[in-house]
Amino acid sequence: MFKRRVVIVVVFSLATFLSFFISSTVLLAQGNISIPSPTPTELPSPSPEPTPRPDLTQITEETVGPLEKLLREQVVGPAWPLNPIKHAIRGSVDAGVPTNTIVLLLLLPFVAMIIAAARHVVGLRGFGIFLPAALSVVFLSTGPIMGILLFLVIVTFSTLMRIMMRRASIKLQYLPRMALMLWFVVLGVLGILFLAPVVNRPELSNVSIFSVLILVLLAEDFSKVQLGKSAKVAVNLTTETLILALVSYAFLTFEGLQNYALLNPESYLLLVAFANYLLGKYVGLRLAEYWRFRKLITS
Amino acid sequence: MVKTSSVLGLNARAGLFSYKYNPFVGKKIATSKLKTKKILREAGIPVPDIYAQFKTVRKLNKFDWKKLPSSFALKPNKGLGGEGIIVIKKKTKDGTGWVTTKRTNVTPEDLALHIMDIFEGAFSMRNSPDMAFIEEFVGRHKIFRKFAFRGTPDIRIIVFNKVPVMAMLRLPTKESGGRANLHQGAIAVGIDIVTGITTKAYWKGDYIRHKPGTKRKLHGIKIPNWTKMLEMAVRCQEATGLGYMGADIVLHPERGPMVLELNYLPGLQIQIANAAGLKKRLERVEDLIVHDAEHGVKIAKALFAARFSDRVKAKEGIKTIKAFETIRIRARDKKKVSVGAKIDTGAWRTSISQKLADELGLMEKENILWTKKVKSSLGSEERRVISLTFWLAGRKITTPASVAKRLTLKFPVIIGRKNLKGMLIDPSVSVEEKLEAEEKIKQI
Repeated sequence: MFKRRVVIVVVFSLATFLSFFISSTVLLAQGNISIPSPTPTELPSPSPEPTPRPDLTQITEETVGPLEKLLREQVVGPAWPLNPIKHAIRGSVDAGVPTNTIVLLLLLPFVAMIIAAARHVVGLRGFGIFLPAALSVVFLSTGPIMGILLFLVIVTFSTLMRIMMRRASIKLQYLPRMALMLWFVVLGVLGILFLAPVVNRPELSNVSIFSVLILVLLAEDFSKVQLGKSAKVAVNLTTETLILALVSYAFLTFEGLQNYALLNPESYLLLVAFANYLLGKYVGLRLAEYWRFRKLITS
Repeated sequence: MVKTSSVLGLNARAGLFSYKYNPFVGKKIATSKLKTKKILREAGIPVPDIYAQFKTVRKLNKFDWKKLPSSFALKPNKGLGGEGIIVIKKKTKDGTGWVTTKRTNVTPEDLALHIMDIFEGAFSMRNSPDMAFIEEFVGRHKIFRKFAFRGTPDIRIIVFNKVPVMAMLRLPTKESGGRANLHQGAIAVGIDIVTGITTKAYWKGDYIRHKPGTKRKLHGIKIPNWTKMLEMAVRCQEATGLGYMGADIVLHPERGPMVLELNYLPGLQIQIANAAGLKKRLERVEDLIVHDAEHGVKIAKALFAARFSDRVKAKEGIKTIKAFETIRIRARDKKKVSVGAKIDTGAWRTSISQKLADELGLMEKENILWTKKVKSSLGSEERRVISLTFWLAGRKITTPASVAKRLTLKFPVIIGRKNLKGMLIDPSVSVEEKLEAEEKIKQI
């Protein structure tokens, strides 16, 4: 499943980039198109431009500053035996690797651990482990509200398509049906992006193709479950996925955690690994099961 | 009231039982319904007949739909939780299509499209490509006619270490669209392992007493061929090598019980339907050495009697018994033999002297449930536990009883607390009564 998703992402992104590239070069060659440049609207406030929200997946002055500053401030002992990763991080940052990327990479295992804990201790299922984690990175890029909004649009479009097909009693095979759903979804997302000049929200114009693709993946899972099981299960799983992603997002943006992971990567990584081991060995009831078996336990 | 430590959760099911006791080969068999059928048929276990198998589109296109009888079931080979199954009840009046159990009409084109969906893996785990097959429709046995809505009810028996540990009956309802699947709204009814009589019914988050919308009681239904069904479930385990599994058994109106499918991760709701924790029962039988299906069923019947038999006792009223009682024991040849017994509230389990057990033929291999090591002040000794059936104060009791070697046992049977529920013991024993009791024993 994971492999398939990765393949889908790669193929889609390649295709999209290719088509963008071709169409833009063709259109530019014809000279019919002017590339739209963001025109600052006249705001009553003295600030000429709306300040963009900090985006950890992009390199901006705001987020690079404090993390790098922290790195510089920390006094690190000799590399062996306790500080090999600390030194490696400093080396790569000096060589130009963005600190953001390193922090995000370091936090990903933690987020995965949180998602695993949510399933094995709390009982929140969601769509596997990859999707909530990826979604939390999407939220990081687009902001949680915009991310959920985009997702809702995507799910609405896919469901609408399904209902329309049923009304018109068009019966198609599974993959063509799925492909048609994606067609609809892309149309919907494009519609949202076309709204950008009207609404003029920075989140909207900042939406990256990868965010959209990951959201489309979620929509695909949603409709797969809707088809195979029921709408209720699909809504439940999706809600759980969104909750997991929001929680993960909260951890990803939690400054204390970012700082700890960056400044003490060795102990941080070991702790996460140990927590995963413990989780894997846990055989007690999940929190949700206390509710599920309440009649059994209390009656 | 069940302790949380005896309830089996998803983590424990996977970590402690399914992963540990189910080998890869067995899981592979259970995942494929067609493979399961093949293995079971070879082991001589009855399964519903297959009318057609579809592996390729070409075979599907060539298929002659007119060959099919008027009722059948179309299933995905690797379907999960009863998804993707279409059950056909009869032909439509014009003869071009069929009517499903959901009362919708389908044409051969509809079925072909559904099979294409199955090929694409719409109903299988991880959407892996799948096969489809058409199976004999197993109708309702007359005993269930009043309780099930349209579809066929099935019986889920969970088997672990060759012992059937828990069972339930799944009754299709209007909500479940005639399907016997709990997630789709079927009723889960607990079954007493000893008698095969239903105990409690659980539906949509609540215990119910009657079939929804009617006054038909759901408890007290006696399932026919019960012992045969239990043994069949254990034999499925022997055939597939799965250490922990659930067998889904249907009762064919004419041909008796047959196995529909096996599940190596059987659902946990069975615990609610039986008002009992599965984990405790599984741990109870985990280390036993079980010879065969018959032995396993015997152990189950000795260990897992439902509480409803206690309730029956309570209805009869509390019996008062003396500290010394004469009981009748069922010997191997089914004869009832009277012996003297001492009531001992200091002991938990009932015990019987080895001499008496030998005489009654109860020390035969198939009657020995298990052997356990007991540490006493005299060092450690092996003590065997046998299945014992006796009548005390007019009540029939079947229980595991440990065999004691003590020769000084004046009373060859000591009845422990475990079998004294609903009884009141009169401790005052006059000298005459004691003498009388001893006299009786001498006569025997």
